[in-house]
Amino acid sequence: MKAILKVENLRKSYGDHQVVKGINFEVATGEVFGILGPNGAGKTTTLEMIETLRPIDEGTVILDGVDVAKDPQKVKYMIGVQLQSTAFMDKVRLTELLEQQAAAYGEKVNSMELLKDVHLEDKAKSYIENLSGGQRQRFSIAAALVHQPQIFFMDEPTTGLDPQARRNLWDLVQQIQKRGTTIILTTHYMEEAEMLCDRVAIMDDGKIIASNSPKNLVQQLLKKGFKKQHRVEQASLEDVFLDITGKELRS
Amino acid sequence: MPKSLFTVLIFAKTSVKRYFRDRVAIFFTVAFPLIFLFVFGALSGNSNITFNLALINQSSSQFSKQFVEQLNSNKTFKVKPDINNLSYARQKMSRSEIDAAVVLPPGFGDIKAGQTHPSGQAVIYFDQNNAQAAQTLAAVLQGVFQGVNAKLVKEQTPFSVVTKTTNQSGLSRFDYTFSGLLGFSIIGLGVFGPVNYFPEMKKQGVLRRLHITPLKVWQFFVSSVLSNAVIGLFSITIMFIVASTVFHFKMHGNYFELAALIILGILTIFGIGLAIGGWAKNENQAAPLANVIVFPMMFLSGTFFPRYAMPLWLQHVSGFLPLTPIIDGIRMIATEGQHLSQITPQLEEIGIWTVIIYAIAFRVFRWE
Repeated sequence: MKAILKVENLRKSYGDHQVVKGINFEVATGEVFGILGPNGAGKTTTLEMIETLRPIDEGTVILDGVDVAKDPQKVKYMIGVQLQSTAFMDKVRLTELLEQQAAAYGEKVNSMELLKDVHLEDKAKSYIENLSGGQRQRFSIAAALVHQPQIFFMDEPTTGLDPQARRNLWDLVQQIQKRGTTIILTTHYMEEAEMLCDRVAIMDDGKIIASNSPKNLVQQLLKKGFKKQHRVEQASLEDVFLDITGKELRS
Repeated sequence: MPKSLFTVLIFAKTSVKRYFRDRVAIFFTVAFPLIFLFVFGALSGNSNITFNLALINQSSSQFSKQFVEQLNSNKTFKVKPDINNLSYARQKMSRSEIDAAVVLPPGFGDIKAGQTHPSGQAVIYFDQNNAQAAQTLAAVLQGVFQGVNAKLVKEQTPFSVVTKTTNQSGLSRFDYTFSGLLGFSIIGLGVFGPVNYFPEMKKQGVLRRLHITPLKVWQFFVSSVLSNAVIGLFSITIMFIVASTVFHFKMHGNYFELAALIILGILTIFGIGLAIGGWAKNENQAAPLANVIVFPMMFLSGTFFPRYAMPLWLQHVSGFLPLTPIIDGIRMIATEGQHLSQITPQLEEIGIWTVIIYAIAFRVFRWE
């Protein structure tokens, strides 16, 4: 499979503190790639550098042949980014928000179609502040995809959602993948990563300490002789995660 | 239509729609300047000088009665009917409730023996702190008596003075104040608006969301200026309607030229808001800086207090403030009927400020 994203020796420091310490990874076209890690591991900083939001200190990020550091403006047309749900103006209808979002890319869109894709057609005239958490996340996805980007970044898309809204969002992510969009997401939920991601990279302390498909990572852990207390024959990705990042609470 | 222009227009359109759904914003941009308009309109409504008087008539003559009636019907004098003795009048004067007391002593207006016409001497009592009003009043009464004298005693006056106004258009004090109020409105709209909502949009991540898109800073700026100009013209049009219907404001210049100047003024002043709001990370940074910049302009650029009344050095200093040429220009067009071609010094100054302000705004702007 062709790699759509190549990250090589990527570094970032804030003052004396190095938060991303020379990471390498590739993401293949059409896959769902998860970046996992405890808070402060450097996930968000890594994503923000790829998304052109933060200057790259060292290393290269190549997105479908385009160097992010050299041509950030071009990269912006290629990527879609889902941020927190409140990142939209209040007192603007959902259809108008989508039209405005598309206009930022110089495009006109059929905003009702886009709302249908995320099951919000009956909220077309609502304002963002009147939506529930799950609805906001779905809208946020629709807004990030107005320009049909090749790569879609999602930063903790299901944090704070109830189980129903979360499952609903998983379906949506899988639909987006079926359309051929490459998805890179971060999450704290291991069952989410297991469910959605073709491959994951686990980050800790600014470094990638493991990278593989969830299944293989579980297999590797089992080969080391890992046994679960209750059900001897199985281990989840959560076990892998805690095994290699440690169990102590992070900030 | 070029793509980048399409982007700008959609963003401006969305902002304008959003404004008309925001009652708080409408209050601050329309109702708030209107409140000022009513306050200042009421204050400068009666531009003629009037005197509050106590008129104490101690005479019983026919002439004195006619004289009292004449004073009562004269608009220059507001005679307080309830004051009928001097000690009460003194009390009122010490409280500055009346300017002076006019006493017509007993026998005032009687026809004295050997004369064919009535005569007498009115006395004006005044408080020390109101000496100026009393002097003016004496002069006015003198004039009234002269008129009476001329009718009673036919005589030629070799020298006299006649006053004629040269100001054909009749510029009222309100007309002057109104231009200042427009300046106040422009600054409220252009600075306090963006200083509030830009940091708010940063806090909510709205600007971050836009930063991810290919939207350029200049597109964002131009769309903001456009929507602000639309909102500003809306607010100022309402002020114009109220000013001309309620306060009889007389527009002496060309509306299109005035609109052009006002749009230019909004562009310039909005740049200040854009620079502060675009630079500040939060409201705590934005508000104090905005106050430091706005308050001197609010008081020194001729919004509420005329600049000609200031000491000379202050006139020079305040002449350099960006709002000053805007208000001067508005005044010259609206109340003096001048044309844009006649106010080039003001336009040049506004132009220079616009370049400086936007150079700073572009430099300090941050999305997050």
